[in-house]
Amino acid sequence: MSFFENLKMAFSSIAANKMRSLLTMLGIIIGISAVITITTLGTTLRATVKGALDSLGTNLFYVYLTEKNVDNYYDSYDIETTPEDLISMSMLEELIAKYPDEIRIAEENPIGSGTLRNTEKKDVPVNIVGAYDGTLDYNGCKILAGRNITMEDVTRKKYTCVVSHIFVKQYFKNGENPIGHVISINMENGAAYEFTIVGVYRYNTLVNGAGPNGTDEMKTPIYIPNTIALQLQGNYYFDGFWGIPLTFNVKYDANDVKAHIQNFFDEKYASNKNFTIGVNSAMDELKTIDMVINVITIIVSVIAAISLIVGGVGVMNIMLVSVTERTREIGVRKALGAKKRAIKRQFVTEAIIICLIGGIIGILIGLLNGELIGIVANMIIKSEPSYSEILGNVTIQPSFGAIIISLIFSMLTGVFFGLYPASKAAKMNPIDALRYD
Amino acid sequence: MSNIIKRYYIGQPNELQILNGISLTVHEGEFVAIVGASGSGKSTLMNMIGALDKPTEGSYLLNGVDVSKLSDKQLSEIRNKEIGFVFQTFNLISRTNALKNVEMPMLYAGVSRKERSKRAMELLEMVEMEDRYTHKPNELSGGQKQRVAIARAMANDPSIILADEPTGALDSKTGRMVMDIFHKLHKKEGKTVVLITHSPELASETERIITISDGSIISDTGYKGNAPAKEVSAE
Repeated sequence: MSFFENLKMAFSSIAANKMRSLLTMLGIIIGISAVITITTLGTTLRATVKGALDSLGTNLFYVYLTEKNVDNYYDSYDIETTPEDLISMSMLEELIAKYPDEIRIAEENPIGSGTLRNTEKKDVPVNIVGAYDGTLDYNGCKILAGRNITMEDVTRKKYTCVVSHIFVKQYFKNGENPIGHVISINMENGAAYEFTIVGVYRYNTLVNGAGPNGTDEMKTPIYIPNTIALQLQGNYYFDGFWGIPLTFNVKYDANDVKAHIQNFFDEKYASNKNFTIGVNSAMDELKTIDMVINVITIIVSVIAAISLIVGGVGVMNIMLVSVTERTREIGVRKALGAKKRAIKRQFVTEAIIICLIGGIIGILIGLLNGELIGIVANMIIKSEPSYSEILGNVTIQPSFGAIIISLIFSMLTGVFFGLYPASKAAKMNPIDALRYD
Repeated sequence: MSNIIKRYYIGQPNELQILNGISLTVHEGEFVAIVGASGSGKSTLMNMIGALDKPTEGSYLLNGVDVSKLSDKQLSEIRNKEIGFVFQTFNLISRTNALKNVEMPMLYAGVSRKERSKRAMELLEMVEMEDRYTHKPNELSGGQKQRVAIARAMANDPSIILADEPTGALDSKTGRMVMDIFHKLHKKEGKTVVLITHSPELASETERIITISDGSIISDTGYKGNAPAKEVSAE
């Protein structure tokens, strides 16, 4: 008897008892839908967290000076550094010149606060922060208008600045275009400096903190080229950095970028007797988060999968009832020449089909759950602009691996729990079976 | 066709000998009635002839094959190809229509789909049920069901049609119709028909009446045909 005939037979007997078949499937449906919901949540959560972290600077390396031939910080000999040992500005310029599209400096250097008097003669407080071309990106600040601080601003020591959109609201009460505007910042020491606004960035309250007194009183950073910031600090003879954060363009592979940076500095420090450069990656932390989400997903899925066993026992129970109910049919089939194997196959096929249909319904419900959760999550995120800036739009990502495994698993449940009732049917004595009422 | 059927016991602690050494030969093309009161052992004998059961002792030759020595799987094949069962209670599969019921023995014989439905339709025509082939058993009358059952019994062109009280659940008119079909099968198709019944009237329609009582043959009207001389083997 062909496989196709078996399938047809299984479907006809399932169709003959629709309600009962559906109730039998319920355990499988619940189990599989739970697994699919959880794995969908897991993959979505991972993708969302990764996206959020990316936007907050997982594309970050921390480059730092370290003693040669020392693996552990605590084993270091505390050798005094000389100015020649430090990471110099010229080195960084050379690095960026070598990989112009790839690497940017994310160092920031807050030098204190200042105030500006607006057209209404009110003082607007600001923090003044020395920045490089990668600093704003690293802080998760998106440029709304104009441009970012560039390396040219830094090297040429231009009096340019990038201000927050909140500052624009506070300072420009008449709604003029801030780009190109020259503002005068009164420093704490009484000096005043003039800067040209070249860009406006969005200040993210979630990442950068909200002021206690609402938008009008908020003190947001004004980013100026760090070379200027260093001068304002009175640091005219800047030797270099002990360590510096670098960001990179996400279109490049993190490992490649890391290798580029490491190789560059290895070459630079090859002749240095005491020091070399280490490169740390924020990706390493993402990997840990990834692992945690994975482990949680697997553990909860396994717990949900246990409900499949309960579902499977339900299937076995109904199959046993079905076998008893159809004793006479089994007798007739045997009398007409059905071999043991054919009877066994008939009932196992039926159990598999029940479980498989249950599994498919479960998968569909699981996917639907995922979509619903996605809709709710997006509604919540949209209601809070500072979330949506980081998280963007949550896209539900079902785990296709989990779907395939669920299908296979539900089939195996059918085989496992269908085998006993089926062999019970196959072993029936045709004479007794024919006589059964 | 040469049959030798012998003794049979059931149960271990209370050994019960149902058939006390029955020997008989049924020839090809014969129409035989096995008659007996209930408890006489005629059902057990029928199970033996139908290869549903094996004798405890003795041998049963069906077309020269010793059925008593076959495995379970081989018995299934014998039932499938050589025996056509007709039951008192029809025993059609209620979920499927008449055509599918007739096809079933061919399904287990591995006949192709096309051939199956062609042969099944022919058989339904033979029992004049061709216009009801889509009907399910619960949409058919008793007589109609039994006609479908006879068509099913004929599906694999068996050596013996084994009918167990085929008219037992029918009124006299439809019973008559069913009996006519058996006569037709016997006369036109040359089928060997073994009719098991408790009714002497029905038995009298056949060529040969074997009466059983307490597990033994008490009378046999004997073979009337012109096939090779009958062989009745002693135990």
